[in-house]
Amino acid sequence: MSFIDRAAAALADPVLKTAVERTAGTAEANRAVAVEAFPDFAAARARAAAIKDHVIANLGEYLERFEANAVAAGARVHWAGTADEACAIVVDICRAAGAKTVARSKSMLGEEIGLPHALAEAGIERIETDLAEHIIQLADEPPSHIVWPAMHKTRDQVSALFRRHHASPHEDESIAAMAESARRHLRERMLGADIGISGANFLVADTGAVCTVTNEGNAELSLVPPRVHIVTAGIEKLVPSMGHAVHMLRMLARSATGAALTQYTTFYSGPKRADDADGPEEMHIVLVDNGRTAMREEGLAEMLRCIRCGACMNHCVVFRQIGGHAYGGTYPGPMGAVLTPALSGLAANRDLPQACTLNGKCQEVCPVAIPLPTLLRGWRERSWREGLEPVTTRWGVRVWACLAKRPRLYRFATSAAILGMRLWGGGGWSRSLPLAGGWTRHRDMPAPEAASFMAQYARGRRR
Amino acid sequence: MNAREAILGRLRGGADPATLDVEATRLLDRPERPVVDVADLVGGFLAQLAQARLGATFERIGAMADLPGAAQRYLAAQGLASALYLPPDPNLAALDWSGLAISHDCAPDQPAALAIARVGVAETGSLVLETAPQAPMLPNFLCLHHIVLLRAEAIVPHLEDAVLSGSQPRAHYWITGVSGTTDIEGQYVRGAHGPRFLHVVLVG
Ligand code: SF4
Repeated sequence: MSFIDRAAAALADPVLKTAVERTAGTAEANRAVAVEAFPDFAAARARAAAIKDHVIANLGEYLERFEANAVAAGARVHWAGTADEACAIVVDICRAAGAKTVARSKSMLGEEIGLPHALAEAGIERIETDLAEHIIQLADEPPSHIVWPAMHKTRDQVSALFRRHHASPHEDESIAAMAESARRHLRERMLGADIGISGANFLVADTGAVCTVTNEGNAELSLVPPRVHIVTAGIEKLVPSMGHAVHMLRMLARSATGAALTQYTTFYSGPKRADDADGPEEMHIVLVDNGRTAMREEGLAEMLRCIRCGACMNHCVVFRQIGGHAYGGTYPGPMGAVLTPALSGLAANRDLPQACTLNGKCQEVCPVAIPLPTLLRGWRERSWREGLEPVTTRWGVRVWACLAKRPRLYRFATSAAILGMRLWGGGGWSRSLPLAGGWTRHRDMPAPEAASFMAQYARGRRR
Repeated sequence: MNAREAILGRLRGGADPATLDVEATRLLDRPERPVVDVADLVGGFLAQLAQARLGATFERIGAMADLPGAAQRYLAAQGLASALYLPPDPNLAALDWSGLAISHDCAPDQPAALAIARVGVAETGSLVLETAPQAPMLPNFLCLHHIVLLRAEAIVPHLEDAVLSGSQPRAHYWITGVSGTTDIEGQYVRGAHGPRFLHVVLVG
């Protein structure tokens, strides 16, 4: 299915629209309150962008520092150039540990590299511990949002899934009872897992620590008891020091949920020490490139600032209409429309950068000030240069360019088109237009003004 | 060429280490952050803790010796049995816990567990805990009711002040309120995986 087909299906689904609107709308309102209460959020945002730019410009040095400090703390550091390499490293660690089950705590990078699939292929049972990830694992669906992966599911759908899969499901249909059912179902499983796998929200270069944030406490429950803890992290997750991590955490929580800080913010430095009371015996950190060095070289360095807060999609008029699945990649919304072509190729994803009104809202709310509309425009230009746009578009633009260079002809053509469109639409909205079926299939076209600007201007001057 | 060399090879260039550190430090110059009244850190901390979003409760006691009594009062008020998990901390072992059934093994569905915070943060109402031989981490996430001891003089203004310099514990974790989720229809539910209740006992 193409993006256009998926978007059409999403638009036809009223339940989806309500579900997306509910969660994204609440996030939008909560963020607004938090930002308003923060002293000089604009300056804080500029600082956050500067911190990330500093890291990206000096990424090699910071990665080496992080590696040295993590190794000194007893962790093992692995490097993966591609998604497949990263998955192979994780599967090898699991095999070497004789692992049959892994407890996983939500990580977008894990989704990006296809870790769930790789574990399944290796015959390793995967227990998703984040409530939303648990829901979509039961439903066998991909996440539809980077912070609320199950935002597209209604309580009735969740209830049906839990009744089918939980041994002692909820007794009443309240959401609290369903959450309780998941707590019961997952607890023993995650405590008994052989390996805990997490992502990283930040990697702290000067301590070698891995930072995770959760609201549920599932990361801590699933990373302490297993004998082995594996972290998969994108190489852009570095921050120079704990002080920088603190600044980024303030921005992340406010932008994602409107909280001052996520409920559980944990820094892990290596495995269990000799006399520690608990903790894993081995800690592995897999540093994953998967296209990031190329993004840095090819004009997408600003995208590497992203801290995966989800604000851009919560505020996106397109995302709010179609939800996350229509985007077809791991990452939806504006940031996904920039990332997916970089991760899986422009040719197959050229529709994503087009699905944007360029209203600039995403850039406005991004806590690291990523110029998302500019980056999307960059993809559009590249798609044109590489000849990926369909012939009709190329032909249409050529006709327009030809007219635009000839003012008289242009004025004549626009007047004729206006007349034609008014006659066609009967003075109201047109549900379809000749030669523009691709556009009007999903939109109505308003009837144009009575005359073109140039014609009205000329008349005004005569008066 | 292995992946490490390939990645680092593409990332060459950038500032020399000394310039890098100067730049990094400059980026932390006078950070924007919530204003905290340093003259009333306890008041600031408790105000944050009382926020609906954090959902925590507290009791202030005069001395460590009152801790078992405070724990007992909390458990009774919650309608719980007088039973508590205690970490193997000598400061706790020195107290008189008679009247409470104390366990040193935390069950998967432990009703109540106690922990000691190193620091509290007035900015956010966060409790900073860390792993140590006398401080296992898991019980603090297994229990339904989490009782945390905090010394009033250990409250610092900002998150930056809670950071340890030098050698790090295996894990340090900042707890800001109770476990919660908004994953089903965006509705907030307390106690997703971790504690549903957080009770701070402030000493001094
Ligand atoms: S692009 Fe910006 S707003 Fe979007 S997820 Fe990343 S950091 Fe958040």
